[in-house]
Amino acid sequence: MIKVSNLSKRYGTFLALDRISFSVKKGEILGLLGPNGAGKTTTMRILTGFMPPTDGSVSIADFDIQKDSMSAREQVGYMPERVPIYPDMTVIGYVTFWAKMRGMNKPKARVEAVLERVQLIDRRNSLVRNLSKGMRQRLGLAQALVHDPQVVILDEPTIGIDPQQVIEVRDSVRELANDHTVIFSTHILSEAEQVCDRVVILNHGQIVAEGEPEKLRRRLQKGTQSIYVEIANKPKHIKNVLQSIPGVQSVTEHGLGYNLRAKDNTDIRLNIAKHLGNAGHTVLELRPLAMTLEDIFLDVVGQDDQ
Amino acid sequence: MRGITLIFRREVGQYFASPIAYLIAFAFLLMTALVFNNDLTVSIGVKPADPAVIPTFLSFGMVFFAPLLTMRMLAEETREGTLELLLTAPVREGDIVIGKFFSAWFFYSLLLFITLIYQMILLSIPSTSLDLGHMFAAYIGIWLYGGATIAVGLMFSSTTENQIIAAFLSMSTLLIMWLGDLAGDIVSTVELANFIRKLTLQGHFASSFAFGLVRVEDAAFFAGIITVMLFVTIRIVESHRWRG
Repeated sequence: MIKVSNLSKRYGTFLALDRISFSVKKGEILGLLGPNGAGKTTTMRILTGFMPPTDGSVSIADFDIQKDSMSAREQVGYMPERVPIYPDMTVIGYVTFWAKMRGMNKPKARVEAVLERVQLIDRRNSLVRNLSKGMRQRLGLAQALVHDPQVVILDEPTIGIDPQQVIEVRDSVRELANDHTVIFSTHILSEAEQVCDRVVILNHGQIVAEGEPEKLRRRLQKGTQSIYVEIANKPKHIKNVLQSIPGVQSVTEHGLGYNLRAKDNTDIRLNIAKHLGNAGHTVLELRPLAMTLEDIFLDVVGQDDQ
Repeated sequence: MRGITLIFRREVGQYFASPIAYLIAFAFLLMTALVFNNDLTVSIGVKPADPAVIPTFLSFGMVFFAPLLTMRMLAEETREGTLELLLTAPVREGDIVIGKFFSAWFFYSLLLFITLIYQMILLSIPSTSLDLGHMFAAYIGIWLYGGATIAVGLMFSSTTENQIIAAFLSMSTLLIMWLGDLAGDIVSTVELANFIRKLTLQGHFASSFAFGLVRVEDAAFFAGIITVMLFVTIRIVESHRWRG
């Protein structure tokens, strides 16, 4: 459905994308991950036809984004990171406008169906300026979906909204895969794991890793697992006790508790619970630490630098 | 064409939903009413009323009204990020710019049309002996003149995401284009004065349309400004693609 070949983008002397290639199959959700400035938004902007690449090619549903830009753009629904709004329009007016801009002639039924889908049908006559941030995100999703595009591109759709709304947006994105091919950018690896079938990780405009999220995490974590432990009353010499637990490689203080790193890929939670229980300590909290993308990047980029 | 129509309709809708547009309309009609009233009071029973009094006033008034009508148009799209979305839709940059231009020109035309009420009042007063040909020529002139000032305002709206800066830049430019006529008056060399006047807005209105003369060269001047300004605006909007 989407084919990106040797894509490069240069802003003056700055190389934002450096010959990246990847493809996305029909019905797949691809996560585009990377820290700020990695090239995610640039990649998405090229895919949507907003900006031309300096080099390389992109085809969407077999339409070349440069040679047949209008046809390619008709296949794409796009929701930028900051949902663009016309504050003085009503919800239904806003979505209808974008439906027509994307080529639909009589969009009324489709607009209502999309508003129903993003749960904004009750607010159809509200002014966009009066919507909450979460509702605006859903409105952004509605404008991206209204023309029933084959490809939906979402730039960090969960940024800046509350946890309940994050769950709703993730569920909505997950549902999209039934009818659309989705590219979804985020800098939260756990989010990509929940939502995406496959991820591409960008750094300094290059692809540094690609694959299924769970496999990628295991590969990039290199057998190391981190556990957070909080013990009642935080006894004085507890750090030494934690260090002596079999399988623990290192212990660092973190907030009210400690972060423990395991030596290999073994699950050390049982060892920790047993050991602390036998030593008479009360464990208040024990949970595996989700490795953030930034943690992984420190490893990946560190390796690159070496 | 579909893109132009959609943008035009959205922008016209925006004018009628915006309190600022109503304020501009109120100020426009209030000022033209005061000018008309003043002219009528002075003329009645003494001399024929000037059928170009409103267009002549607007030749200065549009230096301020045009930037107010256009300052929001592209600056707000850039600031809100909707321009990025528009540029990913299957429409051309030209459709966006032309749709916006026609919407502002339409709104201005509507206000101008309302001022025809004053001419109807003049017609209803037998002693004023209104010269209809003179009046229509002046209205055609100020309609084209307004289109040119709107095109200048729209161009400056595309250069920044700050509406105030856009308005300031276009007002300054239009004021220079208007004052250029006075510069022509103080230059001692006749050829140079004529040349300067040919480049000014007033130079193509005050000595022709305002006297009831419709000259092709004056109409072409305003049409030329509209064309050049729209062309530059389209190029500026396009530049968002490579600026990112």
